Parts: sequence; C-alpha cells; structure tokens
Amino acid sequence: MLPDRRFRSFLDPNVLSRLAGIPLFARRPMLGTVSGRHASPHRGASVEFAEYRKYVPGDDPRRIDWRAYGRSDRYYVKEFEADTNLRCCLIVDTSGSMDFGSSGSRGVTKLDYARQIAGSLGYLAVQQGDAVGLACVAENIVRNLPPRRNPGHLRLVFDMLEKAEPQGGTRLVEALHELAETIRQRALVVVLSDLFVEPDAVRGCLEHLRFRKHDVAVFHLLDPLELAFTFHRPTRFVDMEGGASLFAEPSEIADRYQRALRAYLDGMRAVMLETAVDYHRVSIDEDYEPLLGRFLIGRARGRGGR
Amino acid sequence: MSFLQPWLLAALPLAALPIVIHLIHQRRFRTVRWAAMMFLLAAARMSRGYARLRQWLILLFRALAVATLVFAISRPLASGWIGSAIGDAADTTLVLIDLSPSMSQREDGSSLSKLETARKQLAELLGRTRSTKWVVIDGARGVPREIANPGELAEGPLLDGTSRPSDFPTLLQAARDYIATNRAGRTEIWICSDTRANDWDADSPRWATLRSAFGEFTQSIRFHLVAYPRVDSGNLAIRVGNVRRRATSDGAELTLSIHVAREPGQAGNDGPRTIPVRMEIDGAPSVLPIDLVADRADWLDYRVPLPSDRKTGWGVVRLPEDSNPADNEFFFVYDEPAPRAMLVVAEDIDAVRHAELAASISPDRSIACAVERVERERVAGVAWETVSLVLWQGVLPSPSESERIDAFLARGGRIVFLPPRGSDAATFRGMRWGSWHESPPGTLVESWRTDQDLLANTSDGAALPVGSLRIARYRDLAGTPSPLATLRGGAPLLARAPTESGGVYFLATTPSPADSSLAADGVVLYIALHRALAAGAESLGNARQRDAGFTLSSDSEPWTRLAGSRPVLSTDYPLHAGVYQTGDASTAVNRPLGEDLAGVLPEPRVAELFRGLDFTRVDDRAGSGRSLIQEIWRLFLTSMVVAMVVEAALCMPKGRRGEGGST
Repeated sequence: MLPDRRFRSFLDPNVLSRLAGIPLFARRPMLGTVSGRHASPHRGASVEFAEYRKYVPGDDPRRIDWRAYGRSDRYYVKEFEADTNLRCCLIVDTSGSMDFGSSGSRGVTKLDYARQIAGSLGYLAVQQGDAVGLACVAENIVRNLPPRRNPGHLRLVFDMLEKAEPQGGTRLVEALHELAETIRQRALVVVLSDLFVEPDAVRGCLEHLRFRKHDVAVFHLLDPLELAFTFHRPTRFVDMEGGASLFAEPSEIADRYQRALRAYLDGMRAVMLETAVDYHRVSIDEDYEPLLGRFLIGRARGRGGR
Repeated sequence: MSFLQPWLLAALPLAALPIVIHLIHQRRFRTVRWAAMMFLLAAARMSRGYARLRQWLILLFRALAVATLVFAISRPLASGWIGSAIGDAADTTLVLIDLSPSMSQREDGSSLSKLETARKQLAELLGRTRSTKWVVIDGARGVPREIANPGELAEGPLLDGTSRPSDFPTLLQAARDYIATNRAGRTEIWICSDTRANDWDADSPRWATLRSAFGEFTQSIRFHLVAYPRVDSGNLAIRVGNVRRRATSDGAELTLSIHVAREPGQAGNDGPRTIPVRMEIDGAPSVLPIDLVADRADWLDYRVPLPSDRKTGWGVVRLPEDSNPADNEFFFVYDEPAPRAMLVVAEDIDAVRHAELAASISPDRSIACAVERVERERVAGVAWETVSLVLWQGVLPSPSESERIDAFLARGGRIVFLPPRGSDAATFRGMRWGSWHESPPGTLVESWRTDQDLLANTSDGAALPVGSLRIARYRDLAGTPSPLATLRGGAPLLARAPTESGGVYFLATTPSPADSSLAADGVVLYIALHRALAAGAESLGNARQRDAGFTLSSDSEPWTRLAGSRPVLSTDYPLHAGVYQTGDASTAVNRPLGEDLAGVLPEPRVAELFRGLDFTRVDDRAGSGRSLIQEIWRLFLTSMVVAMVVEAALCMPKGRRGEGGST
C-alpha cells in the first residue's frame, strides 16, 4: 500500500502489522470529505438506518418509502447514517526539552518516542483511508503539513518527522491556540509533548480545541529519570531550552523536587479531565506498542455518537 | 576530663573529616543537561530551612561520631579532678597514708575499713597512672619507703592499721625532705586520711613553714587528699587509767578506772543503756556491765581482788563489736608500786622544808616515800635511777647538769623548779626566771586546770582548794609555758614547760610562809607533789603504760608479746596495742588519749592548711565499691552509635509515592 519503501527508524513493521487490526476511531463525529468509517453529523447513504422524515417538496421522489405510504397514506422519506473519513492532526513538540533521554530509557529521547507514536498513528490513519497532517512546534510552529489522505502525503509526514530537530524553548500553548484556529474542520488532534508548562496555561488551549469541536488526545511524555530524580552527586543542571543553569545537591533538593513534580502531575491530570482530553501519561522507558494498543482500543470503546 | 591514652587525642582533627569530604564532594560536581528545569526551580524556591538544617545536622552527627570514637579509644576517665592527675606522667608519686586507729572504722556494714578501702582504692587508682618512682610514707613510721609498683599498697603488713596516730605535719616534712634530697621532678602527693584533728594538728605553726617550703619548689607539686571524713555516731571507745595494785587486809587488790565514750562530736540518739564490758586479768575473763549515760560511762577505782602472791600481771578490757574495732580494747599492766623518792636540790632550805615534809608522808601504807637532799655540787653522784621527782630550788641547771636532767626526764622522771632568791639568767627548756614581785595582800589564784595534770580534780570530781591559796611573792616566768594555775593579773603560778615528754614544772613561788600559804594550806602542795611523785615513779616500776609510737632503744632487750589483738611484725611492737615483756618489765601499749578525743577537721579547715598550694580533695567512704576513677569509653562508644543512628535517620530519604506509567 505504501509507495514509500525507505527505511524509517521510528517505524517498526511488525508493530504496525499487529496494530493494523485495530481501527483508529474518533470519539466524536467527524466532517470528512469522502466516505469513511467514521461517524458524520450528516445523513448519508450508508446501510445503517437512521430515521423516517416527512417528504417535503424538493426531495428526490425515489427516496419515498412506498411501504410506509401504504401503511399510513402519508409520504415519508427513509434516511440513513453518513460515514466519513477522519482528519488526524499530529502535533509534535520539538522544543529543546524533547531531546532528553536518560539511560533508563535506553537512550531514547522523548522526541524519538514521539516520532514512533506519531509515525505509527499516521500510518494507521492513512491505511484506513483517513487524512493525516503534522505540525512540529517549538517556540512557534516550526513546520505544518495539513491533513491529506493520499499515501504520498504520508511520505512527507514521515520525512518531516525524520528531520525534526529538538531546539529552542517551548511555546506550546500559543502554538496550540494557533492550530485550533487554523485546522478548519473537525479533526482528531493528537499532541505529543512533555508539556513543561503550567497546567493552568494548558487548560485554555485545550478548551479552545474542544470549542472548535476537535477530538483531542494528549501523550504526555516523561523520562523515568525526570520522575525518579535519582541523582547522588552534586550536579549542575543545564537547561536544555537555554534557560539559566542550577547547581544543586540532589539529596538536599530531591524531596522538594518530588513535591513540585507531584503537584504538577496532579494539576495536569485535573486539567485533562476537566477538558475531556484523551490523556496518556507516558514514561518513555515503556514499549510504545502496548501504549498504542491501549490507545486504539480505548477509542474504539468510547466511539462517539453523531 | 582526662584520658589514659591522651596522645590519641591528636587524632581529634579527624572529626572534621566528614566536613572535608563534604566539601570535596561539592567540588566534584557533574554537569547534566536537564529538561525538567521547572521542577528544580520550583524546588529551589521552596523553603530550604529544614533541608539546610538537616544537612548541617547530618554533618554534625558525622563529625560527632568520629570525635566520640577518638575519645573512646583515648580511654576517658570519669574521675573529676582525680583524672587530671592521671593524664600526665609524674616523676615521683608520694603516698602519705594515715594508719591511725580511727582509720580502722567501717561504715554501713561494710567488711572493709577506711584504711583497707583507701589502700585498695589507691592501688587501683595509681595503677592507672604513670610515674617513675613510687614512695610511701606511712603515718606510723614517717619514713619514706620506695615501692616497686602501686599494687604493693594493697598488700603486705607494713600498711596495716596501727595504734599510733599520724602526724601529718611531720609526714609532709618528710615528703618535702625527700623531694629536696632526691631532686624529684614533677611530684604528685597523695594523702589518705580521715582528717582527724589530732592527726593533722591544724593549729601547729609548722603548717605555715610547710606551705612556704613547698611553695619554694620550682617543679610542679600537687596534693591530692582522699578523705574519709564520715564518723559513726554509734562507735564507742574504751580506755583504762589509774591502774594500781595495792595490798589490803585480805591480800591485794587491783584498782583501775574504766572510761567508755561515744565518738566525739556525734550526738547519740539513744537513751541510757548497759554495755557489757569484757575484762580479762591474767587470763581470767569476766563481764562488767557498765551503764552508758549521756554517751559516756566512767567507772572510777573499780576494784578487782588479787591473790596476795600475785605481784605483777596484765589485763585487757574489751567492748562489744562496733564499727571501729581499734578502739574497742585497752591493755594494762600492773605491778607493786615503786618507792616514791624525791631528790631536793635547794639553795634556800626554808623554801623547800615544807615540801620535803609533804613528800615524805605516804598516802598509802603500801607505798614507800623517801626524800633526799643533796648539795648542788654533788648532783653528779646521785643515783638517778631511783629518783621519781626532783625539787630544784635555785639557779636553773647548767649545761652539764642539764644533760643528766634530760636523761632523767627521758626516762619518765619529773622535776619541779622553784624560783631562786637571787638573779638567774640561765634558761632551761626555753624557760627563764624573771624578777620577783610583791603581791598585794590577799592575792588569790584566779584560775587553774582542773581537767589534767597536777591540779586536776580528784577522782570523785572535787576540786583542789587552789583558790584559797594566798600568794605574797612570786617570780615572773619568761618563755612560752602552759599555765596550770594563773594568778590574778595573768601571771602564771604553776606552769608546764613545752617539752615532748612533759614532766617539767615551774612554780613561781615557794612554800615558804613568807612567799605563800602553800604550806599553811598544805592540801594543794601535798596532792600536787604526790601526783608528780606518782607519775615519776611509774617509770621506775616494772609495769608501764605507754602510748603507741614510742621509740625502742637499740640496746634494749628483745620484746616478747604477751597479748594483742592480731599478729604484727616484731619490729612494729611499739606501734600496736598489746602487752609486751622485756626482761622483768612489762609494758602495755595503747592508742593515745588524743585519738579518742579528736573530731574530724572541717573541710574548709583542711583546705586552709594547703592554701596557696595545688590542692584537691575527694571524699570517699569505707567499703565503697565505687572506684575513684572509672573508664567511660563505653559511654562514648554508645554516643558514637547514637550519633550514627541519628545520622542514618536524617539521611534516610522520605517515602516517595510511585510516579510515572501511562494511563
């Protein structure tokens, strides 16, 4: 199916083949341009009956249900559900902090992990006929590919993922606001980031996306060392996004670091729940295949109505 | 605090090792590129007070653990001031130990006496000190004696208790002489005593001399007093006096006076009670109940019948066991009374005639009395060995005469000087006659000693009629006599010269009717003369009562011990109570009277004696099982463990909740 035969380090064919059996569903009705496997807010020509509606002048007389006329002596038009395709927008954080990967994660950086998830989701979406777009954000939107459903576009997405370089600071909130405005139709917005911003700041942009009727999923990527903070020697911590460095005695500061981390994670989880975001906190030392499996299955279960 | 291995304290700077390691650790930081800076910055903004305090506490306890370990291996001593004497090595360590009877006292049912406790404590204490030389001066002998090691203090009979009181000024003088003679370096002087007043003679002018002498030493000399000042108020002491054998119509009898007294200075809390005194005379035991009233009992002239053919013998009285066994027995010997012979040397016969008459009349028909008058020029030919008392009226003895009189006094004789009519510039024993004075008519004696010596009250307590004497003329006395009777105006009438053995009296007037009423009111003259005669005659008899501590002459016959409480070295017979025989003579040796009368010197008074010297004191108790010094390394080791546990608790990370994992 894929015209691109180049080797992509972030794609594992075995994983993709195993995940291909699980469809990617949106949790909300989508507005696609072509027929697909996702629910549409409009009536269409699928085989799934929706409702009877009184005939009004202008309707195609061929759609009148004559059996119903025979029973009720009234004209009714039989309507069916419409199926449409999905527009999947992958938003990958490429700020400097995404370049962090400790020995606990086998040298895999958060950006590497984001590439694996984004690439796999993109492939799965295109494979089931949905459109895929990609936006790389750092201090602003570095590059943006609007969703397309043709396989050639997927190659562009992979190229862009491959060439993404972590650098600069994080202006994820502003970038998400901007993307909420620029993504024209309902879409599945998948955010892959370490979300090193205040939870309250994230709340606004997520509500903005929801207001635009996007289905939002967030993969919160964290390194195990960032969670455990298991340093033993005095260390000078250099900010990967260009900020001031900090000298600290880990044994002295560890408990307060943990307190700050717990407060942040609790706050972030609360924001995600309040904004009905499909939130996944991920330690990047775990395998991404089970993660994606849970993600896909969870969405199939929670498939939204029209 | 002091240490047995103080040089190990040089390792104390190691206590700073944790701090140094911490600083090195700080310098060996590494640089990490870090993404989650927002949490680090938030942590840095949080309150750092406790975290910083905890960090300092951890360092503190680490340093404390090292320091306590160093202290522990330095073997610290919990001994107060004593420990300070142990830390540094001394060149010479002198031990002055009190062997007097009062040191035999036990306390609170302990089996150890003060002396035994002191010897044990000192042996243990000094065993942990370092010294080049160890020297003991015991209170009985007063002679420095080198010992190989402090362990000898607890062993051997040489430091067993004696009946002789100590004389600490003399002991300290011996210590000073030893230090000066041997040119000792840094010296520690340890004194063990129960600080009895009679042993310390705190009023002696010798103390000032000693302080000055020790102060002149340039080397360090430190005095340490291990005192046992507690006394037992229930302790009783017994004493026998006035032992006489005399013939009676039925044969003979022995009269003696028994005195029982409670510990001086201690008020008894019980009422009258009867003390069973066991008496043994020539091996025949008997029990004599004596009623103790107001803490003392006196049975005067108690009579014991004797066989008429028993001329000499010995006896002992014993009290029931109490806290101090050393004062529970008293030995005595008896013999036929020796003749009382008075030698008169006079330039004025009228002055001595009445005295000769009084001396020639015996108070007891069994006692022969004799008076012999000699010219002064013939004094050299007198048979001094038969004389009890010398009545000397005239110019004081010349040096050649003094030699004979000194020998006479040393033997136990007595001498009474009467003033010469003419001038006299000679001196005898520091005394010299002054000028004659005419007294106003009716001059009376103002005061006199009723408790002892020639003018003491009679055995039934009646005072001699000294107050009725009239003195017409008297002569001044120059010197420092001990007055026995004083005229109105303060001039001495009868005085005792300050001599070691006593027995030298000066009467400031004569019995001549022109000088005094001594002859007219002859009771006082008669009694005083016969008391002096009796005292002088005691040395002539074959039975003698002596205080412990006298010196044996080198040419005396060997002594045989007839009775005694425990075995002692034959060379130490004069130091221990008992009955001894040499030739035909027998001698009862007992503790001196002062040992029973003396109380304990107050602590400030003792401290005053060492004023200006490096002096420290610790009070111990007889039978105390507690060592004067104790090693407390276990305490420091425990402290180290506690410090390490606290440090570990502070280092322990707080419980972390599980974070991470996808949802």
